Amino acid sequence: MSKKTISDSEENNILRHEIDSLKLINDKLINDLLVANKVLTFKEEQRKRAEELGIANKENKNQEIINKELEKLSKSAKLASQYSLSLIEASRDPLITISPEGKITDMNEAMVKVTDTSRENIKGTNFKDYFTDPLKASEVYKEVFEKGFVVDYPLTIKDNKLTDVLFNGSTYKDDKGNILGAVIVARDITEQKKNEKELIEARVFAELATELAEVAKAKAEEAVKSKQQFLSNMSHEIRTPMNAIIGFTKVVLKTDLTDKQREYLNAIKTSGDALIVLINDILDLAKVDAGKMTFEKTPFKLATSISSMLHLFEIKIQEKNLQLIKNFDKNIPEVLVGDPVRLHQIILNLVSNALKFTNEGSITVEVKLIKQNEEKVNIEFSVKDTGIGIEGYKLEKIFENFQQASSGTSRIYGGTGLGLAIVKQLVESQGGSIEVTSEPMVGSTFKFSLEFQKTKEVTLKEVDQIEISYQNKNIKVLVVEDIALNQLLMKTLLDDFGFERDIASNGKIAIEKIQDNNYDVILMDLQMPEMNGFDATDYIRNELKSNIPIIALTADVTTVDLEKCTAVGMNDYIAKPVDERVLYSKIIKHVQRARLFDVAKKENSLNKQIRQTNLTYLLSKTKANPDTMMEMISLYLEQTPPLILSMKESLVNQDWNLLHSSVHKMIPSFSIVGIDKSFEEMAKKIQAYATSSEQTDAIHDMVLTLDEVCTQACKELKEEYLKLKNNK
Amino acid sequence: MNTTQKIKLFLVDDDALLLKSMELDFKEHTDFEIETYATGELCINNIAKKPDAIILDYHLDGIEKNAMNGIDTLDKIKSINPEIPVIMHSSQDRIEIAINCMHHKAFDYVIKSETSFIRLQKNIENIFKIRKMKHELNWYMDRM
Repeated sequence: MSKKTISDSEENNILRHEIDSLKLINDKLINDLLVANKVLTFKEEQRKRAEELGIANKENKNQEIINKELEKLSKSAKLASQYSLSLIEASRDPLITISPEGKITDMNEAMVKVTDTSRENIKGTNFKDYFTDPLKASEVYKEVFEKGFVVDYPLTIKDNKLTDVLFNGSTYKDDKGNILGAVIVARDITEQKKNEKELIEARVFAELATELAEVAKAKAEEAVKSKQQFLSNMSHEIRTPMNAIIGFTKVVLKTDLTDKQREYLNAIKTSGDALIVLINDILDLAKVDAGKMTFEKTPFKLATSISSMLHLFEIKIQEKNLQLIKNFDKNIPEVLVGDPVRLHQIILNLVSNALKFTNEGSITVEVKLIKQNEEKVNIEFSVKDTGIGIEGYKLEKIFENFQQASSGTSRIYGGTGLGLAIVKQLVESQGGSIEVTSEPMVGSTFKFSLEFQKTKEVTLKEVDQIEISYQNKNIKVLVVEDIALNQLLMKTLLDDFGFERDIASNGKIAIEKIQDNNYDVILMDLQMPEMNGFDATDYIRNELKSNIPIIALTADVTTVDLEKCTAVGMNDYIAKPVDERVLYSKIIKHVQRARLFDVAKKENSLNKQIRQTNLTYLLSKTKANPDTMMEMISLYLEQTPPLILSMKESLVNQDWNLLHSSVHKMIPSFSIVGIDKSFEEMAKKIQAYATSSEQTDAIHDMVLTLDEVCTQACKELKEEYLKLKNNK
Repeated sequence: MNTTQKIKLFLVDDDALLLKSMELDFKEHTDFEIETYATGELCINNIAKKPDAIILDYHLDGIEKNAMNGIDTLDKIKSINPEIPVIMHSSQDRIEIAINCMHHKAFDYVIKSETSFIRLQKNIENIFKIRKMKHELNWYMDRM
């Protein structure tokens, strides 16, 4: 710029010179021209220079822009690197670079923090020195440099917390591909570990909790079981005496009594009955609780079943001067399949409830068909009374255990409040529903509906009943019962029926009696000393191979025992206290069945039974003299049973000497009555074992076999004896 | 010995059936006079009847705890009259018992079995053979 200013003033000077020289045109023309030329040249130069300058200027400007951009770039690059650096620094994961020799070349703040050492002090140190396990640490960097990367390599940093880390890293190279070092990021997995640990702990706790829960569950189940067992035992303990009380009351009621006495006895009987009902109720509830309530599916006649049950209430209804109205839907199929006993129980509870709370008016029992299809019918039962009714707010509670609408009522009307609870359970367990509507002082209506299956089967019950009516009374019953009172009661009842009877006070005695006598049926108590009813039955079925009908007498109608009854081969059961009609009909039923069965069986198998005796020897010895034969046989019959008995008893008492002697005495007679030689050998073995007191189990079986053989021999010889006697 | 008189034999056994059976056997095969006793005591009580031989059950005290056993009875018989030959009859085939019986001066020891009757019969024959030989020997000794 300044140059330009200078050239301008020079131009001015030259111009002035021109004016001066104009005056001196001639003189100075050449000079002027020269000068002009010079000027031109100069100008040209100037122009050139100016041009050059312009270019330079332009270039300068360009440079400036580049510079600016560079500046910008470097600025942004700086920013970017600062940004990534800050990112790296901000990372909570320690990040280091190491040289191929394993020396730390750089690191981030996290590394500084975690090692609690300044950057300066870290730089250049050995990578491996920062870990609890330097050997493993050196493997990390070896691996990085060998493979070029490392993934999730676990190490523990030697800081004050012993931070667990996972190493991830890779090498970095220069533009020629030479490895310069490795970048390694250590991911702090303290949290992860903590979570893992917590997870493990949680799992352990969960497992522990499951275990505890299982134990608790087992305990609870055990508790339920033992509760049932307890109830079962209790009910046995209560029912046994109750059995005697009610039974004897009934017996005494049949004798001549004054009106007063009859009244008192009736009171005893009613109370007893009520107590039994209560015990049954408690047992039923326990069964529901334990999930043991089962329902039969038997064909029965609904109409007859209900009306015969309602007969039970007739007396009470008359006594209270009430009316019993029955409405039975004629469209209901005659025979249905269901559980008549439970249905009875439900209606019985409802009707007796209605009866209890109604003092005037009527009780209406209605049975209606609601719907039916090919297979099923749905029937609604309702029991309506005109009694005291129930306040609305109490309606919900009446189905709970031990609830009556008001605590006051139980004092006036009695009852435990279990009845409706059971009804509800019974209905709902069968998939039905129950509801109640009531108005105080007007009455209540209980309605429930149940589903029954249809059937084409004819019920069997009636057939049974007809059979009973023409029944010959030649029945011999063995009662197995340990309690003297119950023995007496059974005696009285059986005598009343006109049956022959025999009593055994435990299973062992029963078994002996069965072997010596012919009974038609056995009434078997379950809980007895020495040998209980289950064991005795098992013995009768499996050892004696007898199919004699066995009816369990049980105070405990819980399923546990009933299952056991069938399992050991009992035919039926009668609940205590024994209802005499039930007793009678069950005895008759089983005796008849057995007799029919026997007749059929006898034809098949009478001849099949192996005879134990062979009279050839006796015949030759006596020269077939019937008198001598009879004498010999009767000698055998006289002496053998006591020997059998003594043999068995001595085995039980482990009196080996007596066992030896008893068997010893039996041996000679074997060959005389022609019992197979093998049994004689067996007897000799028993003798040998008895002297050495060894192999008691084997003895046991052999004694049983000998017993069977000799008992049968006696039976056969008895027959022979009678034949001989009759032929005389 | 008076040969015109019947030989008198005592059978002692607590097994009534066996006793009867033996009695039948002897009655059939011999013309002995047979007396049967169910216990040692009964036999001793009748020892005054002077039997020519006794067949005695070894195991007499079967299931009667206080009854005399065979050996006791044997001893008792021998103490009353050592001349009466006693054949022990037992179902036990054991040498100790046999030896024991011989020590107690039994004439022989016969096992109860199917063949026991024949053995007993033979035994009794032997008894009388020996007795006869003894008599003869005595007679000759007297002569000398």
